[in-house]
Amino acid sequence: MSTPPQHSHTHAPVFNFELLHSIVLSFADRLFEESNKIPVFKYIVQYIRKSHQDDPYRTMIELCLIIYGIIYFLAKPKKTRAHNANNLYLSNKETNLLIEEWEPEPLAVPISEDVDKSGAAWRLKSIPKIVKYYNSKPNYVDLQVNGAENTYTNVLNMSSFNFLQLNTHPEVMDAITETIKNYGVGSCGPAGFYGNEDVHYNLEYDLAKFFGTENAVLYGQDFCVAPSVLSTFAKRGDFIVADNQVSVSIQNALSLSRSTVYYYQHNDMDSLESLLIKINEDEKHEPIIHRKFIVTEAVFHNSGDLCPLDKIAELKEKYKFRLFLDETLSLGVLGAHGKGITEHFGFEKTGSVVDIVVGSMANVFGLSGGFVLGDDVMSYFQRIGSNAYCFSASLPPYGAKGCSAILDVLKRDNSTVLNLQKNSRKLHDLFFSTTSILNYFQITSSEYSPIVHLSLTPDFRYSKFGSTLEDIYAKLLKQQETCKQDIEIEEFNKEEFFLQSIANKVLERGNILIARNPHALKHESLPISPSLLVCCSSSMSDEEIVKSFNVIKEVIMEVV
Amino acid sequence: MSSTTYKNTKVPILSPLQVSANDAKELEFGTLTDNRYLLKTKSRNGKPLRQPISDAPHYYISVITYLNYLIIIILGHLHDFFETIFFPENFYNVTEHNGYAPWFTKFESFFPRRMKKRIDDCFSRPTSGVPGRFINCIDRISHNLNEYFSFPGTSTLCLNLSSYNYLGFAQSKGRCTEHALESVAEWGPGCLGPRNTCGTTSLHLKTEKLIADFVGKEDAIICSMGYGTNANFFNSILNKRCLVISDELNHTSIRTGVRLSGAAVRAFKHNDMEDLERLIREQIVQGQPKTHRAWQKILICVEGLFSMEGTMCNLPCLVALKKKYKCYLFIDEAHSIGAIGPVGRGVCDYFGVDPNDVDILMGTLTKSFGAAGGYIAGDKTLIDMLRLNLSFSNYAEPSPPPVLAQIYSSMSIIKGDLNPGEGEERLARIAFNSRYLRLGLQRLGFIVYGIADSPVIPLLLYVPSKMPEFSRLMLQRNIAVVVVAYPATPLIESRVRFCVSASLTKEDIDYLLRHIDEVGDMLFLKSSSGKMGGSLDGKPPRWDIEEVIRRTPEDCKDDKYFLI
Ligand SMILES: Cc1ncc(COP(=O)(O)O)c(C=O)c1O
Repeated sequence: MSTPPQHSHTHAPVFNFELLHSIVLSFADRLFEESNKIPVFKYIVQYIRKSHQDDPYRTMIELCLIIYGIIYFLAKPKKTRAHNANNLYLSNKETNLLIEEWEPEPLAVPISEDVDKSGAAWRLKSIPKIVKYYNSKPNYVDLQVNGAENTYTNVLNMSSFNFLQLNTHPEVMDAITETIKNYGVGSCGPAGFYGNEDVHYNLEYDLAKFFGTENAVLYGQDFCVAPSVLSTFAKRGDFIVADNQVSVSIQNALSLSRSTVYYYQHNDMDSLESLLIKINEDEKHEPIIHRKFIVTEAVFHNSGDLCPLDKIAELKEKYKFRLFLDETLSLGVLGAHGKGITEHFGFEKTGSVVDIVVGSMANVFGLSGGFVLGDDVMSYFQRIGSNAYCFSASLPPYGAKGCSAILDVLKRDNSTVLNLQKNSRKLHDLFFSTTSILNYFQITSSEYSPIVHLSLTPDFRYSKFGSTLEDIYAKLLKQQETCKQDIEIEEFNKEEFFLQSIANKVLERGNILIARNPHALKHESLPISPSLLVCCSSSMSDEEIVKSFNVIKEVIMEVV
Repeated sequence: MSSTTYKNTKVPILSPLQVSANDAKELEFGTLTDNRYLLKTKSRNGKPLRQPISDAPHYYISVITYLNYLIIIILGHLHDFFETIFFPENFYNVTEHNGYAPWFTKFESFFPRRMKKRIDDCFSRPTSGVPGRFINCIDRISHNLNEYFSFPGTSTLCLNLSSYNYLGFAQSKGRCTEHALESVAEWGPGCLGPRNTCGTTSLHLKTEKLIADFVGKEDAIICSMGYGTNANFFNSILNKRCLVISDELNHTSIRTGVRLSGAAVRAFKHNDMEDLERLIREQIVQGQPKTHRAWQKILICVEGLFSMEGTMCNLPCLVALKKKYKCYLFIDEAHSIGAIGPVGRGVCDYFGVDPNDVDILMGTLTKSFGAAGGYIAGDKTLIDMLRLNLSFSNYAEPSPPPVLAQIYSSMSIIKGDLNPGEGEERLARIAFNSRYLRLGLQRLGFIVYGIADSPVIPLLLYVPSKMPEFSRLMLQRNIAVVVVAYPATPLIESRVRFCVSASLTKEDIDYLLRHIDEVGDMLFLKSSSGKMGGSLDGKPPRWDIEEVIRRTPEDCKDDKYFLI
């Protein structure tokens, strides 16, 4: 063993390889002595020594590399901070001054009263407050509008989404009260942590059986379902082709998904197909296949028409896309047994055409919560990856049990569904056959949907408000782009105010509640059109429908 | 992974337990055994929290933890490697076929397949009945390493430390249930449509008024889902020229909501007020990236009580900072509302801070109130604007009547308007139970996180394979607990989380402590150094269980045993 050398760097101002060499060697010796105590270390040091003796230059280079590595590693955080490109560097005084000067915008601007200038106070006032609900005659409510100024009793409710009203069926009510008596109200835990009870698992099983898919997953609220599910599966690099009239829930889903999103023209299959071809072309150059989705709605929230599922199903098979379908307004409504749009188009099972179905227990079933239907594998991974499922408490057990009971009733007896379809057709027929209305209003909804969507014809809109939907949309985008605190579009506001005045008159004159299709402009990123909703339910009689149609017609003819 | 894994098997519906009405009541909410086991929380009168001290485990535990992960990962990959060669059909569902990409690729599904599935028997245990003091867990038999489960149709009553039933309102007897049933008769079980068409009932407005009053704000709005409240709130007040300064441990719902709003996000270290101040200063000066224009608004987002940590936001400091720098403050009181504070009104109550100093108070109704949903409370201008602009009030379903009735009656009980005295007892019981369990665990030598009064008590396990073991051993002892690991916690801090409830009696906690003591010895979990409490002499505390049970019920009422 060589003796440890005495010199240090100060004695060797000139680079001296021999010197460095001996330093390394002596260092290795020291280590070697020390390392005798630690068994594994010994071999490592021995190895270093040996390799250094064989090829001293190599050790030097390796040593340099290691040192460089360490320096690089330590320097990294500073570097990135400095790199954080165009940061300003200011003195303390300047900093304090800037901080002092900064004035934030208010958290919320008060809503203004001025109708002409798109003030929104009238909107708040026109939200009806239901003060009494009749379990025995669910089509009627008592309500107040304008604060408590105007009270109306026994109002025929033609704005309710509870089309089947099976939630007040005696069997269902029994199941619900029985469950509250045995389970309490809340479930007090997320599904993964003791929150999913036997009734939840059973509902999942029942839903899957009823709608003909392999599995179902429950959520606490229907609006949250689509964003959560779509972003579980559609990740960066994946492709989505969506209809350009989807609702806000799906717009949220698309913006959360991080995938590449393309829009096709509403229900236009050529437009869809050309996009599918384009995506498949582009993908050819990539080494792996991506997940690809067609996203659309069965019954559109904004217009009420149906998607051409038969054609979409063909295209999806042909181009190997998966179909994501929002059926929140169609399950329980379409098809002879209420199994939704797949039954309507004559497919045997939901699961055979659609890969992900989003459903709601709130609208048609009159309870609360949402669910996703799909195959077993998708559901399995959804339970692991879907945020709104994993990080939220599960549905109140009574709702789960109640929904199972509704499915039982539906399985046995589909007369409510058939009745609803009869009423929907009746209501649509009345509107479609009245040219005096059609001169001013267009009906965008399908006759199979229990909601009639009434919106102004482009001509009438232009003559009355001097606006077009394209205009409104352009303004909307502009205001969203410039991040205005509250988005106000005068023409839009006026048109909605006009529609609301129709609704108000219908309420005054005929004791009938119809609603404006609510829109929050902040969240709408696709073209929208203001509209009125006239809904029917399965238990409405022909007289009720005809009578209310006449009132609506009368009011419309009066105001136009 | 064969396809049996995914199969939709029917879980049996259990008939209600055949016990007398009185026993059933006891199973949901234990009667107080002695008045000594009550504790009235005091307000902190504006005193901020002290700097957090964290107890790191002995370094060998960290090494073992990493090794543990390493072994799991290496074995998993080996497993994958050989399985791909010999049983490629097992990967059918995670590989491309017929031109379709898999739902989850082999890589994306590695964690669920090779780690989570191994311990799947500890998650999603189906239950039945009320998740009260006891929870009725449906027995299941795991086949082939959790490949699938079968159900013999029996169940086990377990002491419930898993549900967020802080005040014990998960009950099927009593005023709340009566009100819920009445509301079903009066209003039907569901709602008619979104709030802004015809879903607003006087029940909603009444409940909102009560909530606003309860939290000390002008007005409030309710949403039917707590997650959805956060996920769809921020996009109504923020845009991409706004900045959110967010605690790094904020809940996923907040992150989702902020992402949807398009606002820029900067995170600060959990509860580190200096880091927060530095960040605020930096951001006000720097402004928006690229343009350097000033931010329109800066919103600080924190949680009242962090559900995985048991720590609380340092409200007095936050309020001072927010005032100094003109930021807005958002607090998610999901776990703290009801459960914390002298009169149960959350963090403002606990710290003695005026609720008007916080701009937005959000909370969920799923936890302390035994209902479902969430609320946002704030100034009238804000809430009026929100009523029109929130996406859930325009497009989603409102809270159903039974849920509203449950909220209304449980909140009235806490306030003392209904059943005077009952709310007070519940609050005093949860305060006592939380402190008793916490100090007990600390004295036994476990590392627990969080502040003295938190009803969420995370006990650190560190090594991931101790998680399933702990859960199973506790289940054998008829105790239901929740174990959590990465990604809900930092990688090496796997933990078990006890959610204390007012429905537990002191004897239940004795039972719990005895069993945790035993299991803790079996799994070598007692590794605290006493820095975070539990030690009287600065040495690592390793008290004898009998001593703990004898002395802690009195000691836990005294602040001096805690790091307050
Ligand atoms: C901080 C926080 N916010 C929101 C939520 C979601 O609430 P809910 O379970 O009511 O959907 C949770 C639930 O775990 C939470 O911990």
